[in-house]
Amino acid sequence: MKKLAVMLLALIVVFAFAAPKLPWIGADANGKAGGQFVVGTLSGPKTVNDIVAKETSSTDVIDMFMGYGGTLIERHGVDMEFYPAVAESWEGPRLTADGGMEVIWHLRKGIKFSDGQPLTADDVVFTLNEIYTNPDIPSSMQDVLKSTNGYLPKAEKIDDYTVRMYYPEPFRLAFRYLGGMYIFPKHIAEKYVKEGNFEEFWTVDAINNGEIVGLGPYIPVEYVPDQYVRFTKNPYYYKKDANGNQLPYFDEVVFKIISNQDAMRLAFENKEIDVYAPRGTEYAELKEKEKDLNIVVTTAGPAYGTAFITFNWNTPDPVKRKWFRNDYFRKAVAYAIDKNSIIDTLYNGLGIPQWSPVSMNSPYYNEDVVVKYEFDLDMARAMLELGGFTWDENGQLVDEDGNPVKFLLTTNAGNRVREGIANIISDALKQLGMEVTFSPIDFNTLVQKLLNTGDWEAVIIGLTGGDEPQSGANVWKVEAGLHFWNYSPKVAEYVDANDYYLPDWELEIDSIFKENVRILDENIVKDYFARFQQLVSEHLPLIYTVNTLRLYAYDASLRNVKIGPLGGTWWNVYEEWKEQ
Amino acid sequence: MLRYIARRLIIMIPELFIITFIVFTIMYAAPGDFLDQYRLDPSVSQEFLDHLSKQYGLDKPMITQYFLWLKQVLKGDFGYSFYYRRPVTGLIGERVLATLILSLYSFVISWIVGIILGVVSALKKYTFWDKFLTVIAFSGIAVPGFFLALLLLYFAAKTGWFPVAGMYDVNHGRMSVWQGFKDIFWHLQLPAFTLSFGAFAGLMRYMRGTLLDVLNEDYVEFARAKGMPERVVIYKHAVRNAINPLVTMFGYSLSGLLGGAVITETIFSWPGLGRLVYQAFIQQDIYVVMASIVISVIMLIAGNLVGDILLAAVDPRIRLE
Repeated sequence: MKKLAVMLLALIVVFAFAAPKLPWIGADANGKAGGQFVVGTLSGPKTVNDIVAKETSSTDVIDMFMGYGGTLIERHGVDMEFYPAVAESWEGPRLTADGGMEVIWHLRKGIKFSDGQPLTADDVVFTLNEIYTNPDIPSSMQDVLKSTNGYLPKAEKIDDYTVRMYYPEPFRLAFRYLGGMYIFPKHIAEKYVKEGNFEEFWTVDAINNGEIVGLGPYIPVEYVPDQYVRFTKNPYYYKKDANGNQLPYFDEVVFKIISNQDAMRLAFENKEIDVYAPRGTEYAELKEKEKDLNIVVTTAGPAYGTAFITFNWNTPDPVKRKWFRNDYFRKAVAYAIDKNSIIDTLYNGLGIPQWSPVSMNSPYYNEDVVVKYEFDLDMARAMLELGGFTWDENGQLVDEDGNPVKFLLTTNAGNRVREGIANIISDALKQLGMEVTFSPIDFNTLVQKLLNTGDWEAVIIGLTGGDEPQSGANVWKVEAGLHFWNYSPKVAEYVDANDYYLPDWELEIDSIFKENVRILDENIVKDYFARFQQLVSEHLPLIYTVNTLRLYAYDASLRNVKIGPLGGTWWNVYEEWKEQ
Repeated sequence: MLRYIARRLIIMIPELFIITFIVFTIMYAAPGDFLDQYRLDPSVSQEFLDHLSKQYGLDKPMITQYFLWLKQVLKGDFGYSFYYRRPVTGLIGERVLATLILSLYSFVISWIVGIILGVVSALKKYTFWDKFLTVIAFSGIAVPGFFLALLLLYFAAKTGWFPVAGMYDVNHGRMSVWQGFKDIFWHLQLPAFTLSFGAFAGLMRYMRGTLLDVLNEDYVEFARAKGMPERVVIYKHAVRNAINPLVTMFGYSLSGLLGGAVITETIFSWPGLGRLVYQAFIQQDIYVVMASIVISVIMLIAGNLVGDILLAAVDPRIRLE
């Protein structure tokens, strides 16, 4: 009897964990087909070849015909889990006997490209082996796919619907990058690879020539430069809704290109476009008009990008270097940042203080380990005293050797928010007795100074982020290309090797970024990144400021809009529809 | 006459050479290059940037880059756009038409309206209509183009009488020829109004001024004294003489047809050349910039030439030899 109870309990547990998962995202959808979905965008695609594409205006178009379920696995925008897509199941990622790792993908049978050609293992193998890892076709994807020691993955066909992908060493990110890789139709792309002109494959002309073929829900069929891109339904898209009707619901998607943000908003109010991302200054006003205009205006959690202030540890003046390398100096600055005032005055209240180098939306974000520096000028003064600074009779801050503390703060001119942050911070620093000169400069000049000449002292800038902290490896590794606050002399010529300062915690962060990718156990990885966040918030190489909330507005007749951490009002465009 | 034109066209070659060289030098001397926009992106590696830099030829010295470009141009190839990875000629070609439609339309309107109202204003000197037109003209000159454009956008959105932005409706591809024409024509009105409003005002004031000067000349008095009908005095003698300086201006403003509407194009999302070139300047997409410079220089020279020829046609005192 007892045995039976245990068995039953075990069964219940098994069933609880094996809750039936959707065969694909959208399988539970219930909607009406037809209609047109119009999205506003600031600029048109430059190319529709994923290898060449660098900016979102292009990748947004590519996503439509290669993404949104056209990849091996697909990520849910709300629960952030990976769901089966073109691969109906997979084995792994797991370690192999020879110390490498593998993932075995089982492709769904009967999937066809939008031209009616069947998808087989050959297409997947071709895409990985001959496009994304081809040394003759360099792309930023290759950097992403490289494991710690620079290995690229290999794919092999097991049978027509099974593909094995293999790395010679464990690489945690492999699963998401391989699973999210766009699959090229071999029967079309192969010719270009063989002829060595793959970079000219699928320029924007290909849209009007009707050459675009993909696995995604919508295929671009018409592009009028700087006006619109029109997509029609992929007739062979594999997803079906809860009633067995083929997805997607909309007959057409149109990207309407409106180069001016004000015009974009007017077009939204005029019902010419269905979704709009309001600016902070517009949010309250649009919210008020919600009923009149029949729209939904809403906020979601913080965005992925970051904005921070940082100091050049290798600035030309040796006196200043000493301050900038002083932990207490940076802590004083952190205490002097009035984040609430930044949120109120620059983000219209639609922001959230940021304390960690990891995005708040990321599963690795850990608020418990980070040190928070609430605005407190007395604490800032105490930190300066601990750091060996004093004040002269005029209230001017001086260092141990009597040098008055003054420096130049910069940012890229024209970014109103960054300029505002700079003003708020430098006001507070002036109250601490520092002499801060704020001078915004042109973006290109700023990039040159940060990355090449080292001729800068303090800067307010931002970096794009994501939910995977490892995507910042190029910033955090000691010899990384964007480690600009403290370049290694091996990377930047201007850094004096004899005066290079590398604290232990920088080395520890470096090893966290090198090691975590070898570990396949998510819980251990979380510990690694917790330590990383703790170190950064304690030592403040970058002092984070404020993160903006994501703001959305969309037509109220739009159904199945699911806003989540992944962002966007139409990450699940294939199951969205409009109430007529 | 033909020899004169030929000579003018031949002078264009060294001019083009010098101007393009200067522009190339300035672009090169400006800090950074096209790849800067990718350098602060954590997902782009140095190796990839180096690869692009080599592929684009950005790693070569400036003089080499310039002559490589020149060699290509002489073969009729204006190079590739870094940003679009497409030949510059195609890129510019698909936008020239949009710009021409917008600028020619507003050009014609502003010249016709400007000259007619200028004549009216001069003939009705100091009357109510003259004052009224003067007020309009001064507001046309004073109101900044971008402000007027935004005002019109707001007007379009509130009334729904005009589309908010763009040149085509999103369903343009499925329209019949006549519907398509109406579609573009409808989209054209507000940007064209923005462009004409500033331009016609200046022309009108100019026309008014020169006509008033001419009307004070002795020969006008003489013609009137001779008993010539007022209509003939004004339209055959005075206006014809007053128009000479405007003809020079006409040639000159032809050169602005292809590039003069950057702000208007941007605000109204008009798919023209101005926006393309502006973006190329910001991003240092150097071959697009160079091609646009070549076009501008050619337009400037051709515009002046047309102006000179027209002037010779209307003014018998001028001989082109």
